[in-house]
Order: sequence, then structure tokens, then C-alpha cells
Amino acid sequence: MLAASSFGHYGAWLPPLISVHGAEVDRLIDILHWFMLLLFVGWGIFFVYCLVRFRRRAGQKASYVLPKGKISKYAEVGVALFEVVLLVGFSMPAWAEYRTHPPAKDHRVEIRVIAQQFQWNVHYPGPDGKFGRTAAEFISDANPIGLDDSDPAAADDVQLVNEMHLPTGKDIYVRLTSMDVVHSFSIPTMRVKQDAIPGMEIPVWFKVLEGATTENLDEQMTRTYPIGRVAWDRFRHHVAAKDYADRSGQVILARGGDLGATFRDGKKLLERLRQAGVTELTLRPRNALELVCAQLCGNSHYKMHAQIITHTPQDYEKWLKEQSKPVEFNEDF
Amino acid sequence: MSHDHGHDLPFWRKYIFSVDHKVIGIQYAVTALLFLFLGFSLISIMRYQLAYPGRDIPVIGKLLGEPIVGKTPTGYVLTGDGYNAFGAMHGTIMIFLGVVPLAVGGFGNFVLPLQIGAPDMAFPRLNMASYWAYFSGGVVMLTSFFVPGGAANSGWTSYPPLSDIATTGQTMWLFGMVLLITSSLLGSVNFIVTTVQMRAKGLSFFRLPFFVWAQLVTSFLLLLAFPPLEAAGVLQLMDRLAGTSFFLPSGLVVSGQVQNQLSGGGSPLLWQHLFWFLAHPEVYVLILPALGIVAEVIANNTRKPLWGYKSLVYSTIFLGFMSFLVWAHHMFMTGMGQTLSTFFQATTMIISVPSVIILTCLVISLWGASIRFTVPMLFALAFLPMFAIGGLTGLPLGLTTSDIQLHDTYYVIGHFHYVVAPGTLFALFAGVYYWFPKATGRKMNDFLGKLHFWPSFIFINGVFMPMFFIGMAGVLRRQFDQTEQLHGAAVQGLTVMVSWSAWMLIISQFPFIINFFWSIFRGEKVEANPWQATTLEWSAPSPPPHGNFATPPVVACGPYEYSIPGKEKDFCPQNVALEA
Amino acid sequence: MSTVAIPYDIEPHPITGMYNGKFGLWLFLASEVMLFGALFSTYILLRVGAPAGTWPHHGSEILDVPKGTINTLVLIASSVSMVLAWASLKMNNFAKGRVFLLVTFLLAGVFLVIKATEYYAKFTHYQIDVKTPVLLHGEKVTRITGHLHEQTDEHVVITPDAVKGQEHPAEMEIERDNIVRLTNFGPQHSTYMATYFTLTGLHGLHIVGGMVVILFLLLTGPSMWSKNPAKLTNRVECTGLYWHFVDLVWIFLFPVFYLL
Repeated sequence: MLAASSFGHYGAWLPPLISVHGAEVDRLIDILHWFMLLLFVGWGIFFVYCLVRFRRRAGQKASYVLPKGKISKYAEVGVALFEVVLLVGFSMPAWAEYRTHPPAKDHRVEIRVIAQQFQWNVHYPGPDGKFGRTAAEFISDANPIGLDDSDPAAADDVQLVNEMHLPTGKDIYVRLTSMDVVHSFSIPTMRVKQDAIPGMEIPVWFKVLEGATTENLDEQMTRTYPIGRVAWDRFRHHVAAKDYADRSGQVILARGGDLGATFRDGKKLLERLRQAGVTELTLRPRNALELVCAQLCGNSHYKMHAQIITHTPQDYEKWLKEQSKPVEFNEDF
Repeated sequence: MSHDHGHDLPFWRKYIFSVDHKVIGIQYAVTALLFLFLGFSLISIMRYQLAYPGRDIPVIGKLLGEPIVGKTPTGYVLTGDGYNAFGAMHGTIMIFLGVVPLAVGGFGNFVLPLQIGAPDMAFPRLNMASYWAYFSGGVVMLTSFFVPGGAANSGWTSYPPLSDIATTGQTMWLFGMVLLITSSLLGSVNFIVTTVQMRAKGLSFFRLPFFVWAQLVTSFLLLLAFPPLEAAGVLQLMDRLAGTSFFLPSGLVVSGQVQNQLSGGGSPLLWQHLFWFLAHPEVYVLILPALGIVAEVIANNTRKPLWGYKSLVYSTIFLGFMSFLVWAHHMFMTGMGQTLSTFFQATTMIISVPSVIILTCLVISLWGASIRFTVPMLFALAFLPMFAIGGLTGLPLGLTTSDIQLHDTYYVIGHFHYVVAPGTLFALFAGVYYWFPKATGRKMNDFLGKLHFWPSFIFINGVFMPMFFIGMAGVLRRQFDQTEQLHGAAVQGLTVMVSWSAWMLIISQFPFIINFFWSIFRGEKVEANPWQATTLEWSAPSPPPHGNFATPPVVACGPYEYSIPGKEKDFCPQNVALEA
Repeated sequence: MSTVAIPYDIEPHPITGMYNGKFGLWLFLASEVMLFGALFSTYILLRVGAPAGTWPHHGSEILDVPKGTINTLVLIASSVSMVLAWASLKMNNFAKGRVFLLVTFLLAGVFLVIKATEYYAKFTHYQIDVKTPVLLHGEKVTRITGHLHEQTDEHVVITPDAVKGQEHPAEMEIERDNIVRLTNFGPQHSTYMATYFTLTGLHGLHIVGGMVVILFLLLTGPSMWSKNPAKLTNRVECTGLYWHFVDLVWIFLFPVFYLL
């Protein structure tokens, strides 16, 4: 298990890797791309060579007699065999882990996720480990999953919208479904993707790497950028790691504050910062981990994402207990 | 014996409701090129939103109307619904109204009877009907933009339940598809009967130009793969119009409303299976005619026979057969277990073999050649590495474990566009430049042709290569605003680059448009065989008259008799009658 | 008509042994097999996946087996008359051929009429699901099937179906507030009815299509027979092939829906 080592940053290749099985996925992707590059360069060299060597010139005639193709036959067989190795040696075992061998019932953290246009509903069974009964008749804005309060098992259940808390280092078993259309449960950093199909409950399981708590990730993903490189489009989800004040000491951008709600706001703020003499900004993502929807589900499909917060197992238990307490009304309110 | 009645006909029967395969082929080609331009325009507008999310669409924003755009204090911005409608229609138009009608309806119709020495297609009136069914389907699709709620917006894949509950445009999409599928069916019957029954004397199957083989296998795919989509379309129409629940499971709650009036009991996966049963063979329909064109152009411009003709033919047939067995690799993430996924991964790996063989044969055909870099050849050559990139990037998608990360991301968009855009479309351009002289009696301008090729080649790579990286970063498909997600915002720089490349690419098409129309009237006049080619179409006049050949051709050799040793001329036409 | 002379339009091709039209029609039938095959696969998938109680155990519980049987015999007879029509033309007897074509047309019409009565029965038969159980046949039930008498904004009045051997129960009034779902036995009723209507409906459309072609042959037959008798014979043969296929689809539909 990787301890609190670096998980990397979001960029133009694979996102940071936060799950255990994800290493297999990444390994196959890497091997495949080296293989693809090898094939393409090999072909490419031959191709370019032919274009140069066999271009039409005075006195040169094409050859009616065709060359024998032993090399190409061996190459083809080699490629096919390698593909078999990839399938049998890499893809199938990893897929078996991912889809056929769920973690044992008593060893896993079970969570229900119910996708909906356009939010992720997350349902925890609470300390009693039993999911309360849900039914369509109880659905309301305050109760999107339709939890039946009369069911004793529902008393300690936790319902969240667009927020999912997970423990690191423990098997997590998500029971996935949808209320309306086909959505897809996708966590790029966990290398997890599973369609959420109405009428079906599909399980998906994974384990978060130890050390990949939100706290650690926030810290690791804090970086300093030259202010010229900061554009609102690219940094709209980032927050400042410290206060930025203007020359008179008034805070323009507070610690934990973002760059504004729209690109116009962002442009103005960055201009003010530049005028105040700020040359670089230290920023980190507001939510390092996201759950996104990977199947077109309507006009707000792009906005359907949930924040994922990872805790150490002890912190997770604490959080769950806190959440499961029945709401107490403060009479003095 | 051919009866030439062409001069008797009034204008509308000679050029509008013609039964001559050449006229029909040109009708298909011109209509399809217009639709391709429209499809490209739609994505160009979408790319503005992607590069500059939430900003007003310049110039044409106000022309687009609701629900495609919404009014802001400063102008008009694309809406989520508008983006999705443009996206779904971009895919639909490009595939069903653009590429296939051009590749099969256009090139197939025009070239195939000529290449086999036939006077026309087996069923000329059915041929005309197939064009008008296509045209009607196109009209229905275009009209769908103007109905309340706008055009279909559930992706070209129309997955239910989303498509079941979508606005009216989706119903029109379904009717449009019924018309297009009808056109396809009529066409494919025609092609198969013509190819089998009407070959010239001496033109055995293994003397056929590879183009004809490609069209023949394509026609079988169209014939047998489209009906399940037609069935699925009927089922979805029943869901939308008759209240059935073929694709709607029990217990649906849409926007907080429990759907009690529905029977439920349906399956969204049923649609996916039926859809992909067609749509996978459909991608081979997109590529095979292109491979056929590339083969012809390469043979002609290398001045030597194609390498591995028999391998090409057998691989094509095997590819066609296998294409029916891989469809669920589009559905790996639906909860598929080990058995089913292993089957489809295996068939997907197997199908890569004939594709590689075909590409390899075409590349080896360059060995020992005498390469003429004519404009068609530039496009045909560019096709080869582009198709290779497209094919290779299919590998990570065809294995389930890597597909977990890449499914429904921009990686997929990069993959299939490489095969269809710098792949098939380049091959189709090669075909236009190559057969334009046969159809019109005039050559297209070479300078404009090169002005079309080079910028297109550069910018098309600028559009699609970054997509692999954008997808690898985790950016998903069909996202109205990619910066809404953290990993999308991180690669916004690449996204902007893609958009600018796309706009430069569309500008790069203007030399072609100008060239195409100008050359019809002012192009350099040519005789029957300006490319010194061997296949039968070049032994007919340019353009061929009604009935094609004054005397039916007789064939006594293979299709690529170039550079025969000992002969002075570097080619020997297939039509024996021309050999002095 | 400006068509060039097309080889093998009438005489058969040496390799395939068929003239163009016949080959084309067989190809078309191959695509039709895929079409109906997809729909039959749909039937299988939906039946296997149907939740308990949503599909009838036997088709005879819902569909009219006697009518279906008659329809099967009618279609088989029409196929026979179709063959006889072609055979007559082949033996140069145009008058007889015409008669058999007409008989085929009329039998097809009979099929459609019987089908229409079956459809009508389904559209006038209703099912109501209620929240609070009501008393019927001596027990509390949440589902009542029968024929509607009256529908107002407040209530519906239904005459429930009689149980076999017993008398028709009296009319029942059911409050709208108590109704969860009210539907007739049309396609929206259940995936079973949906599949039934879609498959038989599409089949029916194919019958109509065939009838249109036969009508066309009846009307234009005399003129074509005088100009090109072989061509007319071939067209009738091709139509016959199509007709046998449509009959064959019914031979599958009937047991699948009515008997299984």
C-alpha cells in the first residue's frame, strides 16, 4: 500500500491514482500505448521509406513482380499473439477482480448510490448496517430517495446529495441504480466507471489507497502558478491557499476563496490582483476528488457531479456516527 | 444491346427523377457533401462553446433561435439543450446523411456498374427510389430542428429512457431513420444483385477491382445489420407514441413524478443491444468503401498491381462476417460479467487482424512502386497512417480493463474520428478528385487540390490528436461545459487548440468547394482515361452516355495490370477491346 | 421510360440460376428475417426478464385462440392460392391466374378483418389497479378487469369479467382517487401486449403491403400480359415468395403468442 506519497496532479494524461485496482488499469493502458507506438513507428518508417525511395523519377519503372511477404506474415502473427497475451494475461484477470469477485459481505462498507437527473443521491445504512426501506411514494425534495421513516432500520440512515464520504484502506461496495434515465457512476481518480441503469441494481467495488485522505490530497495538490498562467476557465475550481491583499492591506482574495462565479468575475479579480502587484498565486482544488456522470442524461449532464471526501477509517466512523444522529431541534432557535 | 433514349427525356426526368445510376450517384454525392458541410458547421458552433464556455456566440448567435440559444444581456449563448441537439444531429447527419450516402450511394452508384462493365444497376427505378427515400429522410431530419423542443438531443445513439422521454424532435429522428434505413435496404439489394448478375464477360470474381469487393461486402452489412435498428426504432416509436414500455423499467420516477401510467417491465439494455447490433457493422460500412477507393487510387498511382489482392479480398469478407459478433464492446460498462465480456473482447481482438492485414497490404503495395503524387494520391496516402492511428487506438477501448478509464471519454471521440475523418473522409476526397474527370469530362485544378490537402491534413490532426490526451485526462463526452469538472478545466488549453484547429479546418475546405464548382465549367477537359488507369470505367467516355458502353466490355485479365515487363505502355486496360 | 436493357431481367443467370428480381427478393427476405428476428429476440428477452405476474402463463388467457387458428388457416389458404396463381400464369392461363390472385387478395382481407376484431376487443377491455382493495368474487383484490360502462371525473363504472362457469358479477363503481392505474388492453398495458401489438401490427402492415402489390398486379396485369407475359409471371412469382414469407412469420407468431 502506498502511504502518503505523491498522488500527482491533473494534467494531460491519466489523473492522480487513488484506488488499489487502478494500478492494473494504468499498467494495461501504459503497456498498450507503448505497443501502439512501437507498431505505428515501425509501419511509419516503412511507409515514409517507400514514399521517398519509390517516388516516380525519370527512367524508374515500377515492379510488376510482387515482393514476397514473409516478414509481414510473422509480424501479423506476432501482433495477434501479443493481443492474446494482453487479453488473457492482463485484461481478463483485472476484470475478474473488478467485476466478478466482490469483497466479502462482512468486510465491506456498503453504500447505495441512486442517480437522478441531475444529482447523485448517496444513501448510508448508518451504524446498524441496515438500509431503511425506500419507496417512490415518499419521494420529496427533502427526501429524494424516498426513505420510509416508519421503518426502524431507517432511523440512523444518512442521505446526502452530491456528496460522498469514503474511508481509505477499506473495501467499498456501492449498490448503484438510477431513478430515471441511464447515468454512469464515474470516478476518474479511482479508475471506476459503471453505468447506472434504472430498474437494475448493479454493484461496483473498489478500495481507496491508504493515505489518500482529502486532507493529504489538498496539501499535495497545492501549487504555485505564475499569475499569467491563471485563467478563470482553468482555475475556476481552485481556491487560494493563503490571503492575497492589495497594497493598502485590504484582502482581495481570501484564503479558501475562489476566483469568482463567472468568467467575467474571474477576469476582474485577476486584474485587481495583478494591479496589486501579485505575481504568483498558490492554489489548490476545492474538491480534489469528483464523482461525475459518464452517460448523457439530459441538458445538465455536464453539471452532474458530486464531491468525494476521503477520511482515515477512524475519522470516517466518527463522521458517520455524527451524521446518523437524529436531528435535534433546538427550542431556543 | 443498349437503347439510348437519353436525348428524348425532359429536364426533370433526365436530372431530377432520373433512373440512370450516374445521375443518381451524383445526386447522392452532392446532397451528401452539403450535409457533410452542415454537420461540420454544427460542430463548429459547438466548439465555440467548448473553447469559451458561457460566452456569447459571435455573429450567428441571434440567428439560431430558441431553444438552441438563450438570451444574455450581451448576446446569445448556446444552451445545454441546444448543445445536446447539435451534438446528436452532428453524429446523425455525418454518418447517415453524409459519409454513407457519399461513400455508398455516391461512389457506389456511380462507379460500380461502370467498373463491372454493366449498362446500369439491376433495378434502375428502385435505385431512384432509394435516393428519394434518402432525400426525404434528410428533409425530416432537417425539419426536426424547427419543431417545438428542437431536434433530437439524446445522442446519435438515442439511449432510452432519456430518448423515450425526450421532446418531439426524437420522434422525427425515428421517422427520419426509418426513411434512411429504407433507402439503404433498397440500395444494398441493388448493389448485390448487380455485382453478382451483371458483370461483363470474363470478369470473374477474382478479377474484380477491390473497390467492387468492398462495396459488395458493405452492401451485405447494410442489408443484414440495419433491420434490428429498424426494429428498435419501431419499438421506441411505440414507447413514445403508443405508451408502451419496451425500454422503460418498472418504478421510474422522472422529475419527482412516479410514472404510474406506464406498465414498466422494459429494459434500457434491450435498445443498446439492438442499436449496437447495427451500429457496429455500420462503422465497417463507413470504412470499407473508403478502403476500396484508396486501393484503386494507390494501384493507379503506384503503377503496379496491389500487393496481396487475395488477402485483401478474404480479409474483407472475414471482416464483414466478424463485424456482426463484436457489438457489445460498446456496452462493457453496463455491468457485464466475465463470460460475456471475454467473448466480446476476444471477437474484438480477432477483428483487428483482418483490418491490420488490409492496411498492411496497402502499405506494402508501395514497395517497388513508381509513385505519382497526384492530388488523389496525396489523400489516399494520408489515409494510411491516419487509419492506422484510428485502428490502434481502438485497442485500449476493446479491452475491458483499459476501457474502464477510457469509455465515454474524448479518447473514444479521437479514436473513431481518426478512422472516419482523416480516414474515410480523406479517402472520399481522393475519390472525388479521382473520378471527377469521369463524371464531368474535366479535371479538378491541381493547385487548389494541394491547397485543400495540406492545410486539411495539418488541421485535422490538430483537431483530433489532442483528444486522446483530453480523454486520458478523464474528460467525458457530450459535456456542454468541460471546465465544469476539475480534470476538464485542467486541459482547457488543449480544448481551445482543438476548437481553433476545427475552425481552420473548415476554412481549409473552401479551396475544395471553389475547385469543385469552378471545374465543372472551366476545368481542363480530358478524354476517357486521364489517369492511365486499367479498370473498366476508364474505357467508357468521360462522361459516359446513357447505357455506359457502346459495346459491352470483355475482360481477359486482372484489374491492376500495370508495368507489365516487356510492354512499352505502363498499363494494360482490363477491357480487352481497347488493346490494339 | 428510359431504362437501358438490363441483362438477366427475365432469363436466369447461369451461376445463380435466378433472374434479377428473384435474387433481389431473396435478399430482401434475408433482411426481413433479421427484422422479425430482432423482434422475436425482443419477445424472448422481455419474457425471460418479466417480473412475476406481469406476463400470462398461457397466451390463451388473454388472446382468442379460435380466431387465431382461423386466421392461420386463412393465411395458409392464401399462400396456396398464391402458388396456384403463379402456376396458372406459368401454364399460360391468364384468366385462372387472375382469379387466384383475387382469391389471395380476398383471403388477406379476411385475415385483416378478423385481426381487427381481435384488436377491437383488446381496446375495449379494461384493467384497473386500485390502492385500497375492493371486494370481487368474494375476495379482496387490487386488480379488476372488465368492460367500462361509464367514466366521469369522479369515478368509473366497470362490469368485471366473469369467472369461468360463474355468472357475470354486477357493475362496480370505483372512485378515481382509489385508482393507481387505469388502462385498456392496448399496447401500453404490459410488455406482453406491447410485444403482441408490435409484432402482429408490423406483420399486418406487411399483409397490407402485399395486398397493395397484388392489387397493382390485378389492375395492370392485363396490359403487361399482352406485352411481356414472362415479366408478369416473374413478378407474380416474386410476390408469391414475399407472400409465403409473410405467411411463415405468422406461422411463428401464432404459436408463440397464442399457444405458449
